Amino acid sequence: MKHRSPRLKSWILFMAVIGMLLGFGPGAGSLLAAEKIIKIGTIFPLTGPVATAGQRCQAAVQTAVEIINNKHPEIKVPLAKQEGILNGYKIVLVHADSQGKADVGKAEAERLLNQEGVWALIGSYNSSVSKPASFVAERMKKIFMCGSSSSAALTQRDMKYFFRLAPTDATESVDFVEVLKWVNKKKKGSVKTIGVIYENSEFGKHAAEEAKKAAEAGGFKVITDVPFTPGATNLDSEVQTLKKANPDAVLGAVLGADYSLWVRTMKKANWKPRIIINYCSGYQDPVITKQLGADADFFMGSSGYSPQFASLMPAVAAVEKIFMTKTNGVPFDGNSIQEAVAMLVLAQAIEKAGSLDTEKVVKTLYENTWDSPLSLGGKVAFAKGGQNIKAQSIVTQLQRGEYRRIYPEKMADGKIVFPMKPWDKK
Amino acid sequence: METFVQVLIDGMLNGMVYALVAAGLCLIWGVMDVINFAHGEYLMVAMYVSYWLGFLLKVDPLLSVVAAGVFIFILGAVTYQLIIRYTIGRPGLVALLATFGLAVFLKNLCMNWFSPNFLILSDTWLGDKTLQLGNIIFPVPQLVAALLALVVIGLIYAMINTTRFGWAIQATALDRDAAELMGINTERIYLVIFGIGGACVGIAGGIMPSYLAVHPEVGSMFGLIAFVCVAMGGFGSIPGAFLAGLLVGSVEALAGFYIAPVFKYIAVFGLYLTVVFLRPKGIFGW
Repeated sequence: MKHRSPRLKSWILFMAVIGMLLGFGPGAGSLLAAEKIIKIGTIFPLTGPVATAGQRCQAAVQTAVEIINNKHPEIKVPLAKQEGILNGYKIVLVHADSQGKADVGKAEAERLLNQEGVWALIGSYNSSVSKPASFVAERMKKIFMCGSSSSAALTQRDMKYFFRLAPTDATESVDFVEVLKWVNKKKKGSVKTIGVIYENSEFGKHAAEEAKKAAEAGGFKVITDVPFTPGATNLDSEVQTLKKANPDAVLGAVLGADYSLWVRTMKKANWKPRIIINYCSGYQDPVITKQLGADADFFMGSSGYSPQFASLMPAVAAVEKIFMTKTNGVPFDGNSIQEAVAMLVLAQAIEKAGSLDTEKVVKTLYENTWDSPLSLGGKVAFAKGGQNIKAQSIVTQLQRGEYRRIYPEKMADGKIVFPMKPWDKK
Repeated sequence: METFVQVLIDGMLNGMVYALVAAGLCLIWGVMDVINFAHGEYLMVAMYVSYWLGFLLKVDPLLSVVAAGVFIFILGAVTYQLIIRYTIGRPGLVALLATFGLAVFLKNLCMNWFSPNFLILSDTWLGDKTLQLGNIIFPVPQLVAALLALVVIGLIYAMINTTRFGWAIQATALDRDAAELMGINTERIYLVIFGIGGACVGIAGGIMPSYLAVHPEVGSMFGLIAFVCVAMGGFGSIPGAFLAGLLVGSVEALAGFYIAPVFKYIAVFGLYLTVVFLRPKGIFGW
């Protein structure tokens, strides 16, 4: 047997100790375990037809975590002035891609909770993904913070661990009908009939149901109902169906690339109703609207945020600066900002509960009203079922590429263009 | 009646583009017995080629179709040299899985390079132009795409049936060993066929940014419909793929309008199942 020199032995021992200190070798686990970290899982559509929105949602959560983990005295949001929470705990994100598919999102939720051992989940943009993924979290008694999924059904399930920040499509539908009534009154709009176009998904179908309910309650008649397959090669027959029915108003729940296809197909068919109002959809996506240019003008929709809201939400600017470093300069939109709020509110609740006991944090989330300078109303509070009852949105209209606040009137910074100008008169 | 004609025209214009996409797939299958699962992704890559030429160099898609066609021809030839060549003579599943892997690779590569954002080329020559005959609207970009499809499919059909190279292709498709004994370089035929198959979809993808947003997922549904056209028309039959393309486009549009928009793909796949059930080799299959 070959004998090593004492000097070599001491070197090996020294390197082993250094290795262990750096996190390699048998002692590594305990050292990591001693580290004060809280793992949070995110599930967003990072690939697939709505990946552009999903990636921005993920960037929003990362932005919130950067603010929570580090001192940012210049930022006027809760927890920004301190470093970490619970006396030095840092949040570590573990990301997952749902591809916008319910089954993938559910499997990723299971993986994040079972294998990655995350403490809570944030996601998932698509209502159809948030639904099964949050079921997984509920079963395992883990918190699921949902920033932007808008299907009202999500908070009608009486779940204990599910919290949603965005307004629901039920409240948005009521708002849209109010806008139509307001247009009829102020502009002598004589809007009587409504068409609904929506993607054939959890989100779209639910939005359409709520639209029909609200329209009937408001005295309007829904004369056409147009579901479509997301990712279709064309929307010709969909637009021809709308054109033939020729409703005065159209309510749309059309996401991502389908939104630009829809707008361009309407232009091709040389048809527009007098007013179009969109749920959380491609309308709110600043990238899509920029790409569509002047064709995107005069469409309307609800939004919890756009850069034109800066005067109403002064705290956003400093946060948005960090966010834009992660998105190649694309600002927050109504969806992504809700995901940042979801992360911040969860961190506030952990801090206030003073514990990582999920039951205590859940109780704290329900019992308090949270300061949220990144939310339109400035506050967040949850009702039974997890809906944020302070959620607000403004109905905007795109005019020369800018989201003008139109309704409610007290928050308006522009006048509505009604009826929408025809395609050949811009 | 006007509405019927309008819907039918929209459907047929889309159908001709489906036919062009399917023609490339059909050629590859007919000659080589290889199912190219990356066909939809070839379309997507061609759209990116056309988009970036338009965006960076201000080349209109009407001209970029040539560059996109050449680019995808080369991509097809490279795919053959690096992947398909090694799957020939092995169970069909090998080539199928290899091209499936290529599809995932291309999609993710584009997503990584160009982001998942939707890219729209504005101010193109064809742009949003329309021709109007009475109340019937002909969207010019789709009309040009359909005419292009018609020309390219016609040229391929003529090449296969009237040129010596075309006869060599037919001979290779019928019996590779016998073709080799007759002095035909079948390896070269395969290489060129994969290139031409790519070029067809490349030309379709090259013109599409005139009217369609470009994004990494854009080819998926076109690829799927191309498979339906090829199977419905008869594997290996160019006229079959053309007819099936027109049929799929028309059924899609008419079912979408007269039954329900959400029903249009159900009708397309229902028609496909019916044809395959009644005539498993497809309309023109042999």
